[in-house]
Amino acid sequence: MAVIGELLNPLRYVRQLLATNEVMRWGYPHCNGGEHPFAFSLISIEDANMVSGPDHRVGDRSYELPVEAGRRQEKDQWVCRRLLERQLHDGAALRISALTLRLGLFRHTGPPETAALQAWLGKLQDELHAVLEELRDVAGKLYPPLLDEAGLGPALREVADRMGRPVSIVESGERFGVAAEGAAYFAVAECLASLPADAPPVEVILRRERDELLLSVVGVDGRHGHLVAERARPLGGTVKVCEGDAPNASTITARIPCE
Amino acid sequence: MRGGCTERQHDHREDSMRVAVAEDGALFREGLVMLLRAAGQEVIGWAADGDRLVALLSSQPADVAIVDIRMPPEPDGGLITAQRLRAAHPDLGLLFLSHYAESHYLMRILQIGTERIGYRLKEKVGSVEVLTDTLTRIHNGEIVIEPVLAKRLVDRPRGDKKDSLAALSDRELDVLRLMAEGRSNTGIAGQLYVTPKAVEKHIANIFAKLGLPPDTTTHHRRVLAVLTYLRSQRTQS
Repeated sequence: MAVIGELLNPLRYVRQLLATNEVMRWGYPHCNGGEHPFAFSLISIEDANMVSGPDHRVGDRSYELPVEAGRRQEKDQWVCRRLLERQLHDGAALRISALTLRLGLFRHTGPPETAALQAWLGKLQDELHAVLEELRDVAGKLYPPLLDEAGLGPALREVADRMGRPVSIVESGERFGVAAEGAAYFAVAECLASLPADAPPVEVILRRERDELLLSVVGVDGRHGHLVAERARPLGGTVKVCEGDAPNASTITARIPCE
Repeated sequence: MRGGCTERQHDHREDSMRVAVAEDGALFREGLVMLLRAAGQEVIGWAADGDRLVALLSSQPADVAIVDIRMPPEPDGGLITAQRLRAAHPDLGLLFLSHYAESHYLMRILQIGTERIGYRLKEKVGSVEVLTDTLTRIHNGEIVIEPVLAKRLVDRPRGDKKDSLAALSDRELDVLRLMAEGRSNTGIAGQLYVTPKAVEKHIANIFAKLGLPPDTTTHHRRVLAVLTYLRSQRTQS
């Protein structure tokens, strides 16, 4: 496995993650213990393919990885994403919010007021709000906090809401575990984002069948099946596309192993 | 400082409110307590989790409790705590502070109560004026909603009530948006530079166009209008 880099600083890692469009799979030598809980090894996109495709070969070397180990690694990836989101929330975001309060206190009790100083402090508070908005954006791309706290239904309604896209979600409020929920959330969000603005409402159906999350996305472009497959397959999931007779009338169905 | 610390301020002012704070982030909690004091409020105590706040308020009366949504008991202890507080002290104002302004939480907050309640972003209460205005409005019985969230909900009307909202004039939509922010008629009149009488007329039109039952009280219909409006943003299953 070609290790590109090991980053101990999660913010540096997040920046790097967002700066690249490559699909990456993460290795977690220290993720669930050890000295550096946020140490990651990044492996290249080629290696990532090897993880998901056990038969992939380069030259004479075999990169076979037991299927179970690959899935476990993929599950760890989602756990680490959630940890990073929590760290942003409990760390940087909280400090900056507290800073806005201190500035407010300073505005009130600080040196003799001048209009210029007041305006400057006000601008500084606005700037901190903008920084927090950016952190919220990053957190949402890592692991949406609402997904963690309230599950797929509320999180998908919220993201559809923000995209201004009508979506009807059929679900019972059941939870499916960090990995399956993360994979399903990003799969659906990406499908929704890929639809044209005037597409008819999409229906999302979520239910459990034994130890699998059964996800159906009705009223989307069948060519977007790969968006769902890229999220579902590394966890051992399967995806089927039922082509519709009109544009954006296809149904993408995924079965994702869940908790 | 963890848990249930209480204190009494001796220079209690006539117009000050008695406020209790529950927030698990020490840095933010301490900053908030300092800002509340600078604003002339009486901080009767603070806690790092919901259970301690409930215990604190069982022995000490307060006007408003400020709670963080995401605090122990996990995952959203602020909401559970607020539910318990509303049942035990119906007159206690509740201000939810969060790092996120989400319509999901707004719905849950409105289920806890539609009076003396507020939901604001943590970094948006960082001035004595805003903090005082927010607490005063809650204490006076209003709903206070983070303007960013209210605006986001109003600017993208859609869903099953799309047609009824589409029937509203621009001016009526302005009025409804300000209602969703929890403003009183006088407050709305002030914002739109019209008379309170004109606001009343707009609100009557909104009630009629949204088909709200006339056999309920005006306050109830007002809340229903806001809820209809907010729900219209979300196509429920």
